[in-house]
Amino acid sequence: MAANQKQVAISEFFEKNKHFLGFDTLNRALITAVKEAVDNALDACEEARILPDIVVKITKLDNKKDILQLEVEDNGPGIPRASIEKVFGQLLFGSRFHAIRQSRGQQGIGITGVVMYSQLTTGDPTHVESKIAKEATAVSVDIGLDTRKNKAIKSNQDRIDWGEKAHGLKVKTKMKAKYQRGRQSVWQYLRMTSIVNPHADILFIDPDGEKHHWQRVTERLPGRVEAIKPHPNGIELGQLQRLCSESSESRMTKFLRRTFSGVSQRAAKQLCEVSEIEEKLKPKSLTPQQVRALLEAFQGERLLDEKPVKLLNPPTSCLSPIEELLIKKGLSKTIDSKFVTTMTRAPSVTQGNPFQVEVGLIFGDGMAADKPVEILRFANRVPLMYQQGGCLLTKAIESVDWRQYGLDQAGGRGVPKGPAAILVHLASTNVQFTSEAKEALSDNETVMEEARKAMLEMGRGLRKHLEKQKKMGKTKEKFELINDIIPAIAEKSAALLELPVPDLAGSITKIMSAVIAETTTTWNKETKQTDVHITLYNYTARARSYTILVNWPERQGATMVGNELGGRKEAMGVWAWKLETLQPGSRTVITYSLDGLEKGDWNETDVFYRGSQEVIGATKMDEKLLEEIRRQEEALNAPPPDEDIDEEGADESPEPEAVKPEPVATAGDTKQTTLFGGDY
Amino acid sequence: MAERKSIEETKTALHDVVREMYDRIVKGEPPTMTLPVRTKNNIGFDPKLGVYKYGKKQTIRDATSLGSAKQLLRALHVIEFIESMIDDGKSSTLREMYYISEGWGLGKFQSQNESNNLAEDLEIVTRCLREDFKLRPEEDGARMIGNLTLRERNRRGEWMRINARDDVGDSGYGVPYNVEAEKIEFLEHDINFIMAIETGGMFDRLVENGFDEDFNCALLHLKGQPARSTRRIMKRMSEEWDLPVVVFLDGDPWSFRIFASIAYGAIKTAHISEYLATPTSTYLGITADDILAYDLPSDDLSKKDIEALNAELSDPRFADGWWQEQINMMLEVGKKAEQQSLAKYGLDFVTETYLPEKLQQLGL
Repeated sequence: MAANQKQVAISEFFEKNKHFLGFDTLNRALITAVKEAVDNALDACEEARILPDIVVKITKLDNKKDILQLEVEDNGPGIPRASIEKVFGQLLFGSRFHAIRQSRGQQGIGITGVVMYSQLTTGDPTHVESKIAKEATAVSVDIGLDTRKNKAIKSNQDRIDWGEKAHGLKVKTKMKAKYQRGRQSVWQYLRMTSIVNPHADILFIDPDGEKHHWQRVTERLPGRVEAIKPHPNGIELGQLQRLCSESSESRMTKFLRRTFSGVSQRAAKQLCEVSEIEEKLKPKSLTPQQVRALLEAFQGERLLDEKPVKLLNPPTSCLSPIEELLIKKGLSKTIDSKFVTTMTRAPSVTQGNPFQVEVGLIFGDGMAADKPVEILRFANRVPLMYQQGGCLLTKAIESVDWRQYGLDQAGGRGVPKGPAAILVHLASTNVQFTSEAKEALSDNETVMEEARKAMLEMGRGLRKHLEKQKKMGKTKEKFELINDIIPAIAEKSAALLELPVPDLAGSITKIMSAVIAETTTTWNKETKQTDVHITLYNYTARARSYTILVNWPERQGATMVGNELGGRKEAMGVWAWKLETLQPGSRTVITYSLDGLEKGDWNETDVFYRGSQEVIGATKMDEKLLEEIRRQEEALNAPPPDEDIDEEGADESPEPEAVKPEPVATAGDTKQTTLFGGDY
Repeated sequence: MAERKSIEETKTALHDVVREMYDRIVKGEPPTMTLPVRTKNNIGFDPKLGVYKYGKKQTIRDATSLGSAKQLLRALHVIEFIESMIDDGKSSTLREMYYISEGWGLGKFQSQNESNNLAEDLEIVTRCLREDFKLRPEEDGARMIGNLTLRERNRRGEWMRINARDDVGDSGYGVPYNVEAEKIEFLEHDINFIMAIETGGMFDRLVENGFDEDFNCALLHLKGQPARSTRRIMKRMSEEWDLPVVVFLDGDPWSFRIFASIAYGAIKTAHISEYLATPTSTYLGITADDILAYDLPSDDLSKKDIEALNAELSDPRFADGWWQEQINMMLEVGKKAEQQSLAKYGLDFVTETYLPEKLQQLGL
């Protein structure tokens, strides 16, 4: 009876509070509905290890009354017939609300909210079709809600033939809603979703019948995330009470070790000691005072030798970052610009919850140069579209002085301006929002610091790119000058004076008085290779000799082909050619192609030189840096040290520390960044 | 002294510019164009002419950067274009030349400002006038009202006699872009001075109040920063009829500059100051002390105003004690006032009180 009453309260709660559950405006209601359906589809596909194909279609049914129909279809595992009414007809159904791991679904009220909103605004039930692989036909059923009893009302249940399609889910619902375009729209939501889910294929058909297709750019599904046990630092009193009273363990120490992550045998004993609880006590029999004492011990308020009990960090296997390469692909496919830099920080922990920050920045022509940059915020791969200003992730962007990295920013604060979009993704087992609306992340110093560090690192990548662009621009100008303008001046002046056209060589050498390297890196559609051309011109009055070096994605599995000049490997990912002496006014061309890459994987080649005279368009090789790369390579090739393997629940063995240590910026690291940038 | 050049002289002067570039290439050097520095740091008073002219500072535009190389190429295209106009007996507006440059490929202009500046550069280097280049501005000149008679050669080549009081409507006589002797001749007048006025509103007020007749003067509407032809016609009238020019402008730093360009020569056209400037003109108002003396409605100086005033303090044209005083006073008061703020005391105040008082101070 008590449980029943609680559920009634939930249903009515929705009816009265739809404003902060994401159904407050007609536009937002539609976005929320799409979001619930698409998040479910992505989560289900991920769990079943299926590459998702999702189709979203919105149709206008009644223009005057703002009635729309939303259809979302996926190729996920489908829902067994018996579970359909629970998933669609009961609020807060599902296992993920209890499991501690990263999941999308944490963030919404669930698809039931959509069914409820549909019913409240149109009076109609929601149509669901579901097929699971082991059944020959799909279930077709209409789901309505008894909002007082928090129960589904099924009607028109039938079985239908789905033809070829082996499994999936189709939801069709009507609702009072408005379709709008712009920054807060279904289109933007799906676009953002596709950026952080590069493994998904999303097709959107808008009310005008226009098709928007975001194609899959990787066949790689996000890593399987594991559920982890709660960490003592992140526990609240009520939760601890429940865990104690529901435990069937015989001793406190065993209970502590098995129920929580990060608690070793020694720590368990110490926790008991500081909270003055006997080790052999049954957790079930703890008094409320003892539970409170234990919580104080968890939170470090009870000390042992003037120190809190030392706990290990929780494992981070429960996190699923998108990872740099895929962020890069996701951004590149959605925004047509050249330069992308990304940064995935190592996992970290705040209040017992593992989290990880990832950022990406895309820069270039496709975007407005005088407007604030587009901010793409995500929590556990779910786009955040409202309350941008109040969000921790936005604040992290605003806290960086972007002027030093080449973006405009008034006073070095606030959202920078420029042709760029910045992506920030927080992966966490427990995303903290500012409100129930779950659109803005609440302040947290540890997360903020991680996000800031990620931005700074990414900013350095941008600055390097811009500097290179500028250099290349200058070289290009020089070439235009000597190839086009000077000859035109010579011809025109000769014609006006009716004199012969003078020889230009002298003027050109005087104007350039430099050795210049011109480099192009282009994708060749036909050969599916990346072609690199480097031309070295000697516009000085003396003969010059050089060794030219380049970086190339050897580590990423590329192979170098068509390299007629030969040369030799200097280090992992560094190739060198010792060139013959270059006479004044002459040039040498180096060409090669990179095989085994995809379009967009390698857009820029860094060129270095060894030689006395400066080469415009190349960087003088830093020999120490090269040494460092060689050393790193040797370290990588050395046999790995034995690793402790985490044995879940192995009784007396200490739990190894699963969190990777913070990457320390060693001298070598920083230098490596200067050679290869944050690019690859 | 800049004066009208013959066709041959013009062509030779232009060829000298081309020759400089050509010879440098032959010598194996980057081509160049040498011209005076065109900033306030390179203008000096020429006591013989009574106006400010460019000094000796020269700048060499050489083709070692893309920007200046393009300038040189454009100059060659412009020279070619001018020669063809001279040969064909045609002329074009500066704007037309800007559009024609669309066909010049690498030598095309990015903005009209660029083409105007280059035309001026060539004037300076060759000591010719743009009229010699068959280039004319599209800006219209000023309008004028007063009891003076001139004759203007119309489109059909006939001389028309015009009295700028009796033969014109309320908008006055429109000054054409060419005011040289071949186009305009001054015949007779019954005026004591010429009053140049910055704004159209004030010009119309004085016309409506019959100020030109009451005070025996010609009224000339400057339309803000006066066009070359406006300055030139003032210069000619003042010189040929020996008439004083009084200048009635808003009381702000920009008006000071307008006056300087009328009286001493503009920085941009310092190569032809003696041809455009009227050294005998006087600044009537609104002065900084008028703002206080007449308690005029005023606005606070903006940041740009203050910058402009400070720049004027170091401008040789304002080195004179009276100007230093006025500029410093305006900076001190921190205020500027429009001509039309005089309307505070009624529509007739300007003609019945303000101007008579000011003119009396000047002895007119």
